[in-house]
Amino acid sequence: MNHDIPTQDIGPQGEVMAHAVDACVHCGFCLPACPTYALLGDEMDSPRGRIVLMKEVLEGELPLEDAAPHLDRCLGCQACVSACPSGVPYGELITSFRGWSEPRRERSPFDRAKRAAILKVLPAPKVFSLAARAGQYTKPLAPLLPAALRAPLDLLPEHVPAMQPSPRVTPARGRRRGRVACLAGCAQQALAPNFNAATLRVLARNGIEVVIPEGQGCCGAAALHTGARDEALRLVRRNLAAFDPDEYDAILSNAAGCGAGLKEYPVVLHGLPDEEQARAFAAKVQDISEFLAGLLREGDLDPPMPTSRPLTVAYHDACHLAHAQKIRLAPRELLRSIPGVTVAEVPEGDLCCGSAGTYNLEQPLLANELGVRKAKNILSTRPDLIVSGNIGCHTQIQSHVRRSGSRVPVLHTVELLDLAYRGEL
Amino acid sequence: MTTGNPEKVALSTTSPAPRPRSNGKPDNVLAAELTRLLGPKKVLSNLSERMNYRYDAIQFGATPLAVVLPESTADVVTAVRVARAAGVPVVGRGAASGLSGGAAPTLPGLVISFTRMTRLDIFPERREARAQAGVVTLAVTEKARPHGLIYPPDPASFRTSTIGGNLGENAGGPLCFKYGVSGDYVKELEFVDANGDVHELTRDAYDLAGLLIGSEGTLGLITEATLRLTPPPKFTRTLMASFPEVGACAEAVSAAIAAGAVPGKLEFMDQACTNAVEDFLAIGLPREAGAVLLVDTDGDDLETVEEERALVEAACLNAGGTVRRAATDAESAALWQARRSVSPALGRIRPQRMNEDIVVPRSALPEVVREVRALGDASGLPLVQFGHIGDGNLHPNILFDPRRESPEAVHDLAHQIALVAIRHGGVLSGEHGIGTMKRSFMRDAVDPVTLGALRDVKRALDPAGTLNPGKILPDEEGTHAHP
Ligand SMILES: Cc1cc2nc3c(=O)[nH]c(=O)nc-3n(C[C@H](O)[C@H](O)[C@H](O)COP(=O)(O)OP(=O)(O)OC[C@H]3O[C@@H](n4cnc5c(N)ncnc54)[C@H](O)[C@@H]3O)c2cc1C
Ligand code: SF4
Ligand code: SF4
Repeated sequence: MNHDIPTQDIGPQGEVMAHAVDACVHCGFCLPACPTYALLGDEMDSPRGRIVLMKEVLEGELPLEDAAPHLDRCLGCQACVSACPSGVPYGELITSFRGWSEPRRERSPFDRAKRAAILKVLPAPKVFSLAARAGQYTKPLAPLLPAALRAPLDLLPEHVPAMQPSPRVTPARGRRRGRVACLAGCAQQALAPNFNAATLRVLARNGIEVVIPEGQGCCGAAALHTGARDEALRLVRRNLAAFDPDEYDAILSNAAGCGAGLKEYPVVLHGLPDEEQARAFAAKVQDISEFLAGLLREGDLDPPMPTSRPLTVAYHDACHLAHAQKIRLAPRELLRSIPGVTVAEVPEGDLCCGSAGTYNLEQPLLANELGVRKAKNILSTRPDLIVSGNIGCHTQIQSHVRRSGSRVPVLHTVELLDLAYRGEL
Repeated sequence: MTTGNPEKVALSTTSPAPRPRSNGKPDNVLAAELTRLLGPKKVLSNLSERMNYRYDAIQFGATPLAVVLPESTADVVTAVRVARAAGVPVVGRGAASGLSGGAAPTLPGLVISFTRMTRLDIFPERREARAQAGVVTLAVTEKARPHGLIYPPDPASFRTSTIGGNLGENAGGPLCFKYGVSGDYVKELEFVDANGDVHELTRDAYDLAGLLIGSEGTLGLITEATLRLTPPPKFTRTLMASFPEVGACAEAVSAAIAAGAVPGKLEFMDQACTNAVEDFLAIGLPREAGAVLLVDTDGDDLETVEEERALVEAACLNAGGTVRRAATDAESAALWQARRSVSPALGRIRPQRMNEDIVVPRSALPEVVREVRALGDASGLPLVQFGHIGDGNLHPNILFDPRRESPEAVHDLAHQIALVAIRHGGVLSGEHGIGTMKRSFMRDAVDPVTLGALRDVKRALDPAGTLNPGKILPDEEGTHAHP
């Protein structure tokens, strides 16, 4: 797409954005992939339309506040990236754009407070856990609240589990095959502490020593994708200091969103002095399923025990695994490695579940429509279990599956593997 | 000519669109009146909204004054009448995946975008579908398949493009070699004329429906169509052949067809296309080949299907090609996805392209692809070729970056390619339409008397020149001189 984006005034992030705009040939191949286009059916809420809007704002032809409502509705799911044959890095464009535009936005005091609160609470597991517990007690009030306040309550599970702090080092069992570092994650520790516990057990069982480096924190994705670039930079640099890539065979994440965030560090720091360091770091980052599937392919994965009865598992592709990290096969291979498990493909599998980070809180109506649609699609496969690899999808799907009256359990990929190892399936 | 005929004031397609500022409310009389009659949900008037309805998949045009997203034929009627009263042009728009500038307005006016008119009913007993204009092409087959039926027209854009847009361009696709183009599947058409009157056409008497099909929204706005469905062939076999040079590929095609093969699909792509797609899909396409041919033979009798595949295979080997049979359905699906991705994947080479859509007699294919290749090499511009070679429908594309390559040189090369086609007894457009892109070549392709007849048809159906002005027909000689 032709453009006159004044890259020299915007800096290195300007180059990132101009490159993406340049690469788009406005063919429209991405339209059918986009969840907001599917719901709203207009061009401004499509990937192609958003690229045009960002271009016009950057060129100074369109006031930011005119474009903002449509850009805010973008889930950042990157389904458009998977669909785009021209290789437009839409994810980099929207992330950079949000960073650039946020300081230029006019927001209401309520909006500001809400965003600040989200960004404070989400990355701090202890605060989040407290908030979640408090939320549990307010849940009965939910129907009385406006949608923006009700959404987070709706999402809370009926039971918020107690925090389980993870040990700094978990030794390998049996023959030691490697050493990895894990990102502990933030909200996930509070909402689903078993994800980390299962991860440690599965890795240790396979001879992998796991370190949870001190000083690490939130991956920064939430801040980055909501445009709080300074905050994101602080978090990114904190993690770069905490993880020394030379010390580990891999740096693992068991949350698709965080993993994608970690892999994005070189783009975040593009043109800054620590870009190289970010590159070395990102080269080591893997999703837990990627890493375990690697062991499986090498014949190094301890074989899981067969299930006691045939199980149909509906596997949900988290956008940040399938689209952002291009990981589709690995989790399916792991699930199929459990004798007795059949993996069911979900209709409209590429359509986001509507969770998308803070989307539930910012666009509750659209998030809800997508959640309902996702639950319906998943349940149409008549699964015994539902599996995904991301905490956001997990909460969203669980909440909508329960609301539709189904009790089918929702698990993380490693949780299923862990159960199989223990012969509990 | 009537006063107010937009041809007199037509912006050249390269002139920058006017870009008014908006305060979020209907900022002109047209938008205000439409909003009053249709309600705010169906009318877009913010600048951010309108800016997004000024382009198609090839070019940007003028920013419309208002956009209507109709949900029914009645909405379309209202919109057309309001625009007519206001004296502004009306442009119909589907998914804007068109490749000739058809949906990009040449003047500020009203855009009617059909993407919310998506009602689709299947009548299996009659083997028919009734589709509103905004139905996505692929959806027809998806909904018909459980009844054992499909809708064969399959433009590469079939996941995105709409039935209205397909009929606007008379779109074809890989299957059209054996099964025909969009227009061949239309039984009835409902359309709204420039006055805002609704017509229901069948294909009896004068084939007026045939006139509307391929008229790129310049004669009427298609609101609904009754489409013919067919049972899919029981057996399909896929093969891929690669050739050291593009002319050899064309020779193989001519020979296979001469030998009596009627493949369901016969498509080719040259080296640059193969490489661009391989960058996207990484499915192991032969990067070193000068040209790749993709062929499906299909039918209800497996023996004939295999025989036809053998005929094609022999022709390919004779022409110096290497042949690979697709072993599984998944493998052939991947190969066809590769072909469908060619056009946008070329964006990886240069951000802009001039897209040709010539059709030449099959006997002339080897000569034409070689001549086009030579023109490209001589010009120094990146030129690629692909297309529905079985039909003689070629898409030579000139890729360019306006910051590096001169638009005049691009236009010049495009013109020379058009002349190659005409010299070999071919035509300017197989399926993408004339739009604005090839409008100026119409004088080379159509004699003045026939061009006059086309203008008479346009005047008869659209006397005030309201519908999609500045498309297809070149300016009349001398019109610029009048005030
Ligand atoms: C990557 C790619 C591959 C393509 N491959 C093919 C191919 O294989 N074969 C092929 O034929 N085309 C192909 N095309 C071109 C394009 O997809 C087709 O022309 C398609 O039919 C356009 O449909 P649309 O809904 O996008 O229409 P638009 O682009 O929105 O409109 C096309 C024209 O039809 C008019 N129009 C739209 N709706 C209506 C209506 N309801 N009533 C009257 N007029 C209307 C518009 O004014 C315009 O002139 C391809 C395009 C792309 C981007
Ligand atoms: S598919 Fe890619 S090139 Fe095409 S419009 Fe979408 S982003 Fe642009
Ligand atoms: S990231 Fe998702 S929601 Fe945003 S434009 Fe792309 S497909 Fe649409």
